[in-house]
Amino acid sequence: MAQTHKDTKLLDWEALEIGEKLPTLSYVLTQEMVDEFRKGVMDPEAAFPTISQKVDVRPYHLVYHDDGSVNARCAFHCFNPPIPGKRITVQAWIADKYARRGKNYIVTQAVSVDEDGRLLDRVITHELKQPSEVGKKWQ
Amino acid sequence: MAIVRSYKVGDTIPPLTKNMTQEAINAFEKSGGATGPSQFTDLETARSTLGTQSTVASGRMSLTFAIELLRRYFGADVYNSRGMVDLRFLRPVRPGDSVTFTGKITGITKEADGSRVAVEVSATNQKGDVTAAGSGACVVPSGYMPPEE
Repeated sequence: MAQTHKDTKLLDWEALEIGEKLPTLSYVLTQEMVDEFRKGVMDPEAAFPTISQKVDVRPYHLVYHDDGSVNARCAFHCFNPPIPGKRITVQAWIADKYARRGKNYIVTQAVSVDEDGRLLDRVITHELKQPSEVGKKWQ
Repeated sequence: MAIVRSYKVGDTIPPLTKNMTQEAINAFEKSGGATGPSQFTDLETARSTLGTQSTVASGRMSLTFAIELLRRYFGADVYNSRGMVDLRFLRPVRPGDSVTFTGKITGITKEADGSRVAVEVSATNQKGDVTAAGSGACVVPSGYMPPEE
């Protein structure tokens, strides 16, 4: 069911607390998702389809809404390639926030673990919360 | 026979070029469960959200390409369990762009579980503009490295 703004609160960047845990996310990675991911990245051996799941920002959007965002920086740590058919559980949290040149950024971090307890990956994303500012430069 | 890998500071990594299409962007977004229009898949949404004249590719696609660059170099057996990458996204990647990812070894340091080979990574489009830059690394087990003197 689609998320609506009635279910979430408007982001108050000043009030956002570093360390805030976001809702746990759980999903089953299917072979179809893996195949589609590999098609998208044009790499038949791509091992981390979890990247396209955006598991660090999806939990954020279960709590907050805002004016949109642009991915400014992303780090990814590989531990074990996920296995299709396994349920994956993700814990995400607000790892940091900062202001730079008058623009507000938030940093989310997420760790994915499969149903067998295998640590899969860790992703850290810096999102600029004034996307139209970037768009002006991107014309 | 054990695999032996040898690295030294200044070594360059064979480049990787990706030709971006809207179809590829759509597949990437679909694989992540995105179903509605977004700045990645829909021109109107890109215009209203970003103010751009085209859709853009998610930075996570560039991240994945950088991972591929390093996986090919270090080998999947090592990189998929001991690798990382950290990219800043400097310019948009759009459908029709051809983006080349390159890397160079910047340092090798001893870790508890091997040698951490650090790499500088960048992505450049067909106009010569850098679209992303950052670093990557892989902790290569000592057993895979040449014996020490």
